[in-house]
Amino acid sequence: MSNIKLSFILNRKPYTVETDPGKRMLDVLREDLGLMGTKEGCGVGECGACTVILNGKAVTSCLVLAGQMQDAEILTIEGMRDDEIGRVIQECFVEGDAVQCGFCTPGFIMSAYALLMENPTPTRDEIRHAIAGNLCRCTGYIPITNAIEKAAKTLAK
Amino acid sequence: MKIRNYIQVKTVEAFHEAAKAADGPITILAGGTDVLVNGREDDVYKDCTVIDIFPVEALHGVCETENMLLIGACTTHEAISHDPLVKQYAPILAEACGAVGSLQTRNRATIGGNLANASPAADTMSALAVLHAELVIERDGEARVEPMTAIFTKPYKTNLAQNDLITTIRVPKQSPNVRYDYVKVGRRKVLSISRMTVATLLEMDNNGVVTRFDMTVGATFPRPMLFPDISAMLVGKRPSEQDIIGVAKALSDKIPEIAGIRKSTIYKQPVCRNISERSLRKLFADILK
Repeated sequence: MSNIKLSFILNRKPYTVETDPGKRMLDVLREDLGLMGTKEGCGVGECGACTVILNGKAVTSCLVLAGQMQDAEILTIEGMRDDEIGRVIQECFVEGDAVQCGFCTPGFIMSAYALLMENPTPTRDEIRHAIAGNLCRCTGYIPITNAIEKAAKTLAK
Repeated sequence: MKIRNYIQVKTVEAFHEAAKAADGPITILAGGTDVLVNGREDDVYKDCTVIDIFPVEALHGVCETENMLLIGACTTHEAISHDPLVKQYAPILAEACGAVGSLQTRNRATIGGNLANASPAADTMSALAVLHAELVIERDGEARVEPMTAIFTKPYKTNLAQNDLITTIRVPKQSPNVRYDYVKVGRRKVLSISRMTVATLLEMDNNGVVTRFDMTVGATFPRPMLFPDISAMLVGKRPSEQDIIGVAKALSDKIPEIAGIRKSTIYKQPVCRNISERSLRKLFADILK
């Protein structure tokens, strides 16, 4: 079908793109906007690698249609550097060796961000629950859980 | 995903207009978590007008009448799992919604979309069945009410016409005395498709005599089912250990009877029996002492 004009807020800046509304949000981010930080893993919502924040909620961008970006507020990994919570989470991931191959990392950081936005003082169980939709095949989940716990403590200081 | 046309609507009336005006088949997009997965294969939606109803505010949220919870069809599973009214009056549904997929999926997937997709493995089906939930379905602005279990014809198929829109899920409010248990069996705790769910809802009088009992199995039969013969096994009785064993056996015997003997039957039948026994022992713990 022909392209339509989509307007949305991405990483706190207004964007308008003309694209095929039948594309996935993941493809708009990567192909139309060149934001390659959001990764495609499974493509069916089962790995969490493409997690972004859509209207305040963590979602897998492979399961959102481009048309559904209309008027939305979206945060991706690229927006994390300009955000205190995002920056601290990233620093804790690096310092805590919560990154190995790095493919799953943007998705984990976005899930951690969604958690800490809603719950600044999560328990370890709440952290595990929040990242249960993200798969990692390298580090295991303990360094990732530790990094999010440390980020929450750092931000609380 | 190849589609013919994409229309986003903000009201139910606008949906009806768009559905009427559509030239050819339509696909209703709610959360999109099933449509986008199906759309990966064989251009299944290439001739379809996709009508996106997720922005329809009237289809989101939970409200109550004297006897019913009214759940908007576009309410997400995550929203339902945390909703105070659902937790108070239908906690088994809150639990079932919390068992769906991952947080990311629950943040997007909707209860109405889940029903319309008609997957026999949908986590909420068994809970909605024992709650005797009903659906409000609108066609061209005319609303009708049907029992939830009545719309399914076979796996992934319903009797809904393409311009039928599920607008509301009506769930009878449960009294605080109602006891429930919901068990999901999957390959892992999160992000797993149900291999089986067992949902139980019951009520007893002050003497421990069962006044109401519904127990069913999900992800096992071609469509959600209720079993009056199973209910009759406990209603009017103060259950004993033998009754529990009998109900669990009768329920698990439904598997080959209804679904036929499949490769999974050798696994599912004993699992159903064991989970059912465990659930009933938990629910009747004070009676069995």
